[in-house]
Amino acid sequence: MNHPAILAASDAQIVNGALLVSALLFTCGLIGFLSRRNMIIMFLCTELMFQAAALAMIAFGKVHHDVSGQVFVIFILTVAAAEAALALGLVVLLYRRRETLDSEAWSELREAA
Amino acid sequence: MELALTPTAAPLANCLTWLGTAPSAVLCEAPSGMSATLSKLMQVIATKLGDPVAVMCAVGAVALVFLMRPNKSGVRMGATVLALAAFAGLFVEVIKRASTGDEAGVPPVFPVIFGFLALAGAVRMITHPRPVFAALYFILVVIATGGMFLLLGAEFMAFALIIVYAGAILITYMFVLMLAQQSPVEGAGEAWYDRMPREAVPAVFVGFLMVSTLTDAYFSPEAQAFRTAASEQTAEAGAQEGWAALESMPKLLLETAQRKNPQVASVERLEVSGMNATLAATLADGSGAMIELDPSYLPDNGRQVGVDLVSKYPAGLEIAGVVLLMALFGAVILARKQIELGEDERRGLAGMRRFTVEGEAGGTGGIR
Repeated sequence: MNHPAILAASDAQIVNGALLVSALLFTCGLIGFLSRRNMIIMFLCTELMFQAAALAMIAFGKVHHDVSGQVFVIFILTVAAAEAALALGLVVLLYRRRETLDSEAWSELREAA
Repeated sequence: MELALTPTAAPLANCLTWLGTAPSAVLCEAPSGMSATLSKLMQVIATKLGDPVAVMCAVGAVALVFLMRPNKSGVRMGATVLALAAFAGLFVEVIKRASTGDEAGVPPVFPVIFGFLALAGAVRMITHPRPVFAALYFILVVIATGGMFLLLGAEFMAFALIIVYAGAILITYMFVLMLAQQSPVEGAGEAWYDRMPREAVPAVFVGFLMVSTLTDAYFSPEAQAFRTAASEQTAEAGAQEGWAALESMPKLLLETAQRKNPQVASVERLEVSGMNATLAATLADGSGAMIELDPSYLPDNGRQVGVDLVSKYPAGLEIAGVVLLMALFGAVILARKQIELGEDERRGLAGMRRFTVEGEAGGTGGIR
């Protein structure tokens, strides 16, 4: 890390920037999950929240000089991949039943008459 | 960090103690307790109004509401400018709080670029009416976050993130979008449920509460001081963990010693003192030597992460494998086509004798 532009920023500044971005990304994911109707986009928004959590892990790992934060991100990636596989399988299944991705189509949880 | 939370947590704690008192006391003191809590709440709101971070968050929230609704392009442009201004203000304020004054005059360029890309991608992702574009903007977010990881010194995770997320998970999303996306006719536009957000204002309000609490906890002076202290206290322990990782890799240890002194033939032991380490080694001519290593000889990020993963979290690693396997099974079972089988076919599949004979008209043959 010898580039002057990076050198100009101290570690504390980079950590603060990363924490800010992490908080805002998590919030964007939350807002998207609450307000979008498309089921695929809703799951994409949970991935956004995973990203924010990973960024916060690495930033705090930097603060504490501990690589365990990065190891946790490996686990986050694992869970995100598993979640994507299962969630997308579910979405395909739901799409086959109602022919729409609108989550409102499932607001009444009962068998089709 | 507990200190950092007090301004926000105080009214909540008041409420809880008020609820926890005996019912009779509540009946007698309810008005004064309520008014005290309310006045405290008003105080907190008043201090928040003077806090630039909270104000910027509020401005960004208002802009986001306008961006989420299908508006005229002029309104959208105004909201975009407002959101950009809010983000720039937030970033300047947050960076300023971490500055000690002895940095060079150049603003931190790369964190700003990556942060801006990540935020713009995220906002566009939750506002774009076309799901495929939302997925593409998410790839932009992933790449920008990877850049952030690089700045934080996590090189391995930066590239792992881009490969796994942008390369694998997002491609899965793309495939599912293609499988399930309905595009009725050319030019018909997006589906109505992609254009109209559901309850945009309450969602953004919840998000605003979330982000103002988070920024309050992250960037209060107490939290800032806590992070500075923690960073100073753990610097040595971090270096020592790195030396321990180096010691657990004999081949790398020898290579490191040879990088410092090409004459080294074998290494005996590593002694750590503070940030530095001393390596007892034997040279090629048989004589012993002490080699001083400074922190620049620590193993690189990928090796440290690998050693940490397998030495500290072996159980987690195994469980991660099981999670992935179960997800694989689950996805296969969920996504396979479900076929209705009659009574007779199920008997056949279970290895039992069928009621009907192959080739015969169903049911007429009867039971043999």
